[in-house]
Amino acid sequence: MTATSARGTVSASAPAVPRAGRRAARFREALVGWGFITPNLILMSLFLFAPILWAIQLSFQETRGFGDPDWVGFDNYVKMAGDPVFWRSLANTMVFTIVTVPIDMAAGLGLAVLLNSALPARGVFRTMIVLPMVISGVATGMIAVTMFYQTNGIINKVLQAIGLDPIAWQSEGAPAMISVMIVAVWLRVGFNMVIYLAGLQGISPELYEAARIDGATRWQQFRAITVPLVGPSTFFLLIMNVIASFQVFDLIFVMTGGGPGDATSVLVTYAYRNGFQIREQGYGAAIGVVILIITLIFTFIQWKTSRTRDLVE
Amino acid sequence: MTISNKRVIGGAALLAASTVALTGCAGFGGGSSSDESAGDGMSGSITFTTWASESEETAFGELIDQFEAEHEGATVNLNVVPYDQMFSNIDAQLSSGDAPDVFRVDYGNLGVYSSQDQLLDVSSYFSDDEIDDFVPAMWEAVSYDGVPYGVPHQTDVSALLVNLDMLESAGFDTSTLPTTQDDAWTWDEFAAVAGDLREALPSDKYPFVYNWQLGGAPRWFSWLFQADGRFLESDGTTPAIDSPAGEQALDFTKSFFENDWVPPTSSTKATTYADSLFAEETTAMAFIGSFLVPDMDYFNEFEWTSVPMPRDVRGATELGGNALVATKDTANPDLAAAFLKYMVSADAMNAFCAATNELPTRTDLSGDAIEFAVRPDVMPVFVEQATTIEPQDVQQVTSPAMAAINTALQDQLEAAFLGGQSTADTLANLSAAIEEAAQ
Repeated sequence: MTATSARGTVSASAPAVPRAGRRAARFREALVGWGFITPNLILMSLFLFAPILWAIQLSFQETRGFGDPDWVGFDNYVKMAGDPVFWRSLANTMVFTIVTVPIDMAAGLGLAVLLNSALPARGVFRTMIVLPMVISGVATGMIAVTMFYQTNGIINKVLQAIGLDPIAWQSEGAPAMISVMIVAVWLRVGFNMVIYLAGLQGISPELYEAARIDGATRWQQFRAITVPLVGPSTFFLLIMNVIASFQVFDLIFVMTGGGPGDATSVLVTYAYRNGFQIREQGYGAAIGVVILIITLIFTFIQWKTSRTRDLVE
Repeated sequence: MTISNKRVIGGAALLAASTVALTGCAGFGGGSSSDESAGDGMSGSITFTTWASESEETAFGELIDQFEAEHEGATVNLNVVPYDQMFSNIDAQLSSGDAPDVFRVDYGNLGVYSSQDQLLDVSSYFSDDEIDDFVPAMWEAVSYDGVPYGVPHQTDVSALLVNLDMLESAGFDTSTLPTTQDDAWTWDEFAAVAGDLREALPSDKYPFVYNWQLGGAPRWFSWLFQADGRFLESDGTTPAIDSPAGEQALDFTKSFFENDWVPPTSSTKATTYADSLFAEETTAMAFIGSFLVPDMDYFNEFEWTSVPMPRDVRGATELGGNALVATKDTANPDLAAAFLKYMVSADAMNAFCAATNELPTRTDLSGDAIEFAVRPDVMPVFVEQATTIEPQDVQQVTSPAMAAINTALQDQLEAAFLGGQSTADTLANLSAAIEEAAQ
């Protein structure tokens, strides 16, 4: 009642602020808002939206990138449906995603919890783990090639030194995929850790104190407090990791070139192969559009189903 | 197509494979300077884009200085880029109308550009006598439908390098090694040597390695040509690989892996070059291009020499090397053509090939006319090996479809070598891929 009468009071005194004045204020506010986002919108339109539209157009054409393109309608998509290498690349991408994303996130959370505690020289450890983030994927891939080099690489040398058989990292499909996954996890775990660290530092220590008073074990504290309260970080990382996995390219291109056979071929390496090596740019663009659609669908589903994305303490 | 001098793996261009980048990116600059080039045709400025090894870059620089000295008012801007970025960027620049005036291109990629009407027709700049100065097969390599779209700057071919120390320690008498095409090993003799080495070498060492990795899959065609086979009929569109010669070449090369004659990591999609395996003494022999001779000499501490490639019905090797071309829309076609002509003049070609251990394309520089800077003792084998290239080989490997055929060849040979795919299936798949690519 009080509130109603208060609103009524305000309403009664409204003529003190003219309607035209409020409109002008709203207009100015909107103008400021547009002013802030316009540079971003221009850049995104120029470097993101326009190229995506161009790629979609390209996917309906047969072109080498120069000369006159031919409009072929859905031919590139029809060809894709019957292309076994495309399906193999899609399957490889899914396997890569399903394996690396949970490991990345679990390891990232574990390291974040560890390095969020009173650990000696934790700054040094944090730096060491985050360091791979600042190295380019190509450079990492080249380092990894020397490490996983089948005949003289350090990993096989170590395995042989301790009496084990060398592993066919470069000539057999499964070991090749495992080598790529190991390097990908190493490369990304630092990013996961940083995001989780930020999430952990937003959790009030009083919650843990209260849990300890109630007799909760460390595992119970982790399960009942930490995991739920880093929900927004988990949601963000899940989206980012899945997108990154669907777009993995540099590591695989440098380490295995998609081989042996098509064992490590993923969607982006296959798109690159078609777009730039065979010069079937229309087909390459069509594969790119499929990657875009898959990542958008996954992001949409995650957005709709995640219950913890907006969770705050 | 056979590719020479691509010594860099990876690079920033790899990142261009994201969805957005699939639409093409402009890449490094290099368009013609039209404002400056409106002179009399022999003055002005042109841009020359190439990839280059250290010795090639030095040689290009010196020749450009010489050209500029001879053409007052002319400037050639040399733009050296990594090999891996070269053609994706040239494609993008052609697409955006910002291509360099002159660029270097291997003979396989040249067909892609000439067939799409992207290159300057240089026929009006060369008389018949001047054309006769070139090895006919090499002039054929820069021509499409009988029209020359560039100049054959150099070639390079593979021969077999032999680690003398490893062969001797395996009990092989190296004084019996072949030295000329006349006494080159037959396939059977080569197989016997490989078999003997396999027995003598430890399990982690291998008799030889073949250089078909990292875009080099078309080097497999050397075996096909040696068996007197072909992959395209003379009409340029009908596949011819599914043949007895194709079967023979594929069976023989599959046996390299089945018999452990080559490292399992050296297949067509491997990420390590053959010369690395030879240099680290993982293999006793290696099929290597002549352009790598300077590297082999600088980095190896063992004794090695070169011998001819094995021969079957005939001798054969791949058509390596590169042409120089001008873009059709260059703002200064006369200056661009003059530069191309200068670069393939006898003196310039002699200087370039001598400094880089590459082979000439002019008849007046054949034989021992060139004094190679590094290991001149091993170069006669390469020079003679180049004579095994026949016009029909050139016609096939300069097909505009080679980029697509190369990829199919990588995939199918890898499936045959490592995946256990049968010879019949491999040839059938290759035949279908060649038919689709050559349409």
